[in-house]
Amino acid sequence: MEGFYPKNGRVILHIDANAFFASVEMAENPALKNKPVIIAGNPEERKGIVVAANYLCKDKGIYTTMALGEALKLVPEAVVIKPNHAIYKEYSKRIFAYLAEVSPLIEYASIDEAYLDITECAHLGSPIDIAMKIQQETVKRFDIPISIGIAPNKFLAKMASDMQKPLGLTVLRKRDVERVLWNKPVLDAHGIGEKTAAKLQAHGILTMGDLAKADVKKVQSIMGVRGVRMRDRVNGIDDRPVDPEANTSYKSIGNSATFPKNIIEPASIRVKLRMLSRAVSERMKQKKAVSRTIQVMIRYDDFKTITRSQTLQRDIQEEADLFAAAETLFFKHWNGEPVRLLGITAQNAVDKRMQTTQMDLFSFQEEADKLEPLFTTVEALKRKFGDSIIKKGWME
Amino acid sequence: MKFSIQKDRLAAGIQDVLKAVSSRTTIPILTGIKIHASDEGITLTGSDSDISIESFIPSEEGEVLIATIEETGGVVLNARFFNEIVRKLPASTIEFETSSSFQTIIRSGHAEFSLNGQDADEYPHLPQIDDENVFKLPADLVKTLIRQTVFAVSTSETRPILTGVNWKIENGTLICTATDSHRLALRKTAAAGLPEGEYNVVIPGKSLTELSKILDDTNEPVEIVMTENQVLFRSKYVLFFSRLLDGNYPDTSRLIPDEHKTKIDLNTKEYLQAVDRASLLAREGRNNVIKMSSGDDGTVEISSNSPEIGKVTEQVNSLAAEGDELKISFSAKYMMDALKAIEGTEIEIQFTGAMRPFVIRPLHDDSTLQLILPVRTY
Repeated sequence: MEGFYPKNGRVILHIDANAFFASVEMAENPALKNKPVIIAGNPEERKGIVVAANYLCKDKGIYTTMALGEALKLVPEAVVIKPNHAIYKEYSKRIFAYLAEVSPLIEYASIDEAYLDITECAHLGSPIDIAMKIQQETVKRFDIPISIGIAPNKFLAKMASDMQKPLGLTVLRKRDVERVLWNKPVLDAHGIGEKTAAKLQAHGILTMGDLAKADVKKVQSIMGVRGVRMRDRVNGIDDRPVDPEANTSYKSIGNSATFPKNIIEPASIRVKLRMLSRAVSERMKQKKAVSRTIQVMIRYDDFKTITRSQTLQRDIQEEADLFAAAETLFFKHWNGEPVRLLGITAQNAVDKRMQTTQMDLFSFQEEADKLEPLFTTVEALKRKFGDSIIKKGWME
Repeated sequence: MKFSIQKDRLAAGIQDVLKAVSSRTTIPILTGIKIHASDEGITLTGSDSDISIESFIPSEEGEVLIATIEETGGVVLNARFFNEIVRKLPASTIEFETSSSFQTIIRSGHAEFSLNGQDADEYPHLPQIDDENVFKLPADLVKTLIRQTVFAVSTSETRPILTGVNWKIENGTLICTATDSHRLALRKTAAAGLPEGEYNVVIPGKSLTELSKILDDTNEPVEIVMTENQVLFRSKYVLFFSRLLDGNYPDTSRLIPDEHKTKIDLNTKEYLQAVDRASLLAREGRNNVIKMSSGDDGTVEISSNSPEIGKVTEQVNSLAAEGDELKISFSAKYMMDALKAIEGTEIEIQFTGAMRPFVIRPLHDDSTLQLILPVRTY
């Protein structure tokens, strides 16, 4: 297998969930499949703009940011759905969690895009085998189609995944750059927006080829250091690493479950909430995270979905605490209708070592008597030997 | 009922009673304001059954004619519409006339409204309070007592008694205490006019906040009557009734430390500004935590560190410092609330350890006390 991998280079996948919001809605409600689907704000009033649309719509000329009224002129029979970001986020997290199993070198670029460095994944097969496997698995596990670009760096991987949609699989080698990219307008290059493209055009740089061959100093004078980098990229050079820490603003930890049969019995709902609390608690412990804002998501049979959250006085992590909060929230907001999906999310989770506890007037005495001797000793050690001499430990 | 009245006086009266009217009430008639015309003047009443406010507009004040009553009587009008209508009427006088079916004609300039009303007899009666045990405090003192304590009441219903302020009178001294169990605010006064008897009541924080908005910033006396389950504040033209909270207020006096290991004197304003700066980066974090440390040479340092945002440290000049070195973390918000409530350009803070409450007092003045529980960082 090593033969398929470069000796000194990298293999980067750019993974792009096609028409992601629309795909999620279709996955959640299979009755929508084979129907044109538009996600837009304010569907009742026909105002608002198109946030996403499936390919049945896109093929007829509907694009994101189009006014909903315009879109419905093109496809009057389209099903219009209000965006439900909580559920998109949930899918996104689950898909990324799966991708992280393939390679831990994953960088989240947005809710529906990620870079995956598979340079060290020869044991899983050739890069194309891995990409095909990922495509099949995301359809099988999440019912979400994705396009993948395979390339030696992030820029080319991103360009490649854009070439075939949906369910595309495109390999872009450095040696293909001249043939595949250079005749395209600069605006198509990822990282160049309309303003920059207009500036470049004013200087006679119309295609990526023009940019690739342009004088470095000239490019720098037009668009600064960024220009030099863009010139490198259209020449197939991009050494940015896939950085797992780059966008890990995933501060919430949550799990959800769709049930094979709708549930309505409070007892069975409690069982499910307990199950989800356990799963969330385990993941929080794995990440050494605590949270004080707990959110419950309830999806009813008619796909009406509500999320309700509560901020507690203290940080929690244990299953019992998560369950108690989720149970209270659920029964406060449940309308009594059958439930098809439940989710529990610990929001704004932080590292347990950051945990602080506001002390209480009516209980400080006990706490202080117990902890003060320890605290005094630790402080004395720190004063004598420096702050790093002693740290809080963990019972695993 | 038929009368005419000066618009601005009526509008001011409505503003007072409106503070007690809630749109979310289980008793429908309480969404209205009761208007009663007698030979002496007009009485407006608003209530949410916890708070009831009565505002009186005399027909004459000195030589000035405010209202002309042609026919006495009463009606209840929807508070929201009544208020909006009166505010927007064109002329400086307004005429009211109620028919037997409680329909009320409101006339001003060339505008005429006809508003459906309800029978004033249906409106709940205000609590009857004996005038036996009245005592008086100046309005501005009452406002100050409220301002210095009410911010510390609990907003959570877990211990309902803590959502109120404890007013305790003993030996001619009134002690107001509020705590949400994370901080405590206390204000004492031995002002003339306090009774000799003993009183111990808990007034809902919300009632005091509303009362404080109605009272004028003058030293006009406010008459106060405390009963088993109601308290009445009476100023010249306004009666303010509030329900009292049930249950015993916890004895907090034994929780306030009477000795200290470290004492630091500071300039209130300088210290408040330093805490405010340090909290800029702490606000995003949990509990809005800042650290304070003092060395044995009297230096005081305030700092805050939010790994994702950045950190800040600032040296604060102390006026005096004595006792052990100190390292303590606490909520910047609680500290700022406390400092803002204190009157006095200089304060002293007494600490007894990083895990024990500390006490802030104006220098050389023990009428005010602010206590804060620290934050445990490990």
